[in-house]
Amino acid sequence: MGKQEVGRTVSRREIIKLAGTAAAFCTSFGFLHGSQVGGAVQDKHLQQDKHITQHKWERAEIKWYSGNALLHSSVIPAKVAKHLESDVNATVEVKLFLSGQMLRNLGTIQGKH
Amino acid sequence: MAGPHEVLGMSRLLGIGTTEFLAAYTDNGGTTLRFGEEDGRCAFVTESGCRVHARRPLVCRLYPLGRATDGTGEERFARFPKQDGCEAEFGADGAIADFLAAQGVAPYLEWSLRYGEVYRRMMRLLDRVGVEGKVETDAGGEARAAGSYPASDRDPLSSWQDIDASLSAYCAEKGIVVPAGIDEAIDLHLAAIQEWLDGLEARIGAVSEDPEGEGTT
Repeated sequence: MGKQEVGRTVSRREIIKLAGTAAAFCTSFGFLHGSQVGGAVQDKHLQQDKHITQHKWERAEIKWYSGNALLHSSVIPAKVAKHLESDVNATVEVKLFLSGQMLRNLGTIQGKH
Repeated sequence: MAGPHEVLGMSRLLGIGTTEFLAAYTDNGGTTLRFGEEDGRCAFVTESGCRVHARRPLVCRLYPLGRATDGTGEERFARFPKQDGCEAEFGADGAIADFLAAQGVAPYLEWSLRYGEVYRRMMRLLDRVGVEGKVETDAGGEARAAGSYPASDRDPLSSWQDIDASLSAYCAEKGIVVPAGIDEAIDLHLAAIQEWLDGLEARIGAVSEDPEGEGTT
């Protein structure tokens, strides 16, 4: 999907809150993002039952990167918030995991200035 | 899993607020119920049964079934294997529809659909936001503001997960009374989130509901 240009009117805090809320709903409701459905089912219990073809995941992680280096997973800590403020290469990714394996990457938010 | 509406229902049953509930009974950023580290049991399971049975979440009502829908809304169910130590009665008799009706699933599915619409809108906005170089860079003061970021895995990922707190702030701003009823509170919670997204969308630009943005619940 092509990215649209965005004016300088959305604060980083708002985007982080939007991503955090989406990740929270993703986990607490078990939502998957439609365009990214189609990978292998990782849950061994679901694999045992042929009646279900949908994917299931156990938790959502938010990962923060600086370039290719993973800074942190899970909730957004203050140290990463500071990094987002200061590092033009910092990014935020929203991913779905099951049994330690990534099912889907819901997207990347780059915090470039 | 525990959605904000489910947290609200369980907290009302326990006679506490959602803020207290999230702190005491949830993990993983307020998205899942807390389980004992040693025994792996849900915090609400007692010798006499579930303490929040009347307001138990959808996933508990469905068990031992798993439910999934695809982009077209087609619904599928699977049956999970019986877990060790589970005292529930398992059987292959009866129809799924009867089981769902007996478990009072309908309003929870309706709420899930409504929150799903909000979720898909958020994902479309995130898809739309090509944040590269477009986010305001003066967020330093904002980002350091108290309460901006969770301090641990047990803090909610988003303030919107805490219905009592978010509605208290919303209603104070609007000069309206916080609804006492659960259904009314959930309705207003959804409306408040949509209003927040309206504001974001107004600045980001209109987001079309293209097929790619459709999700699965």
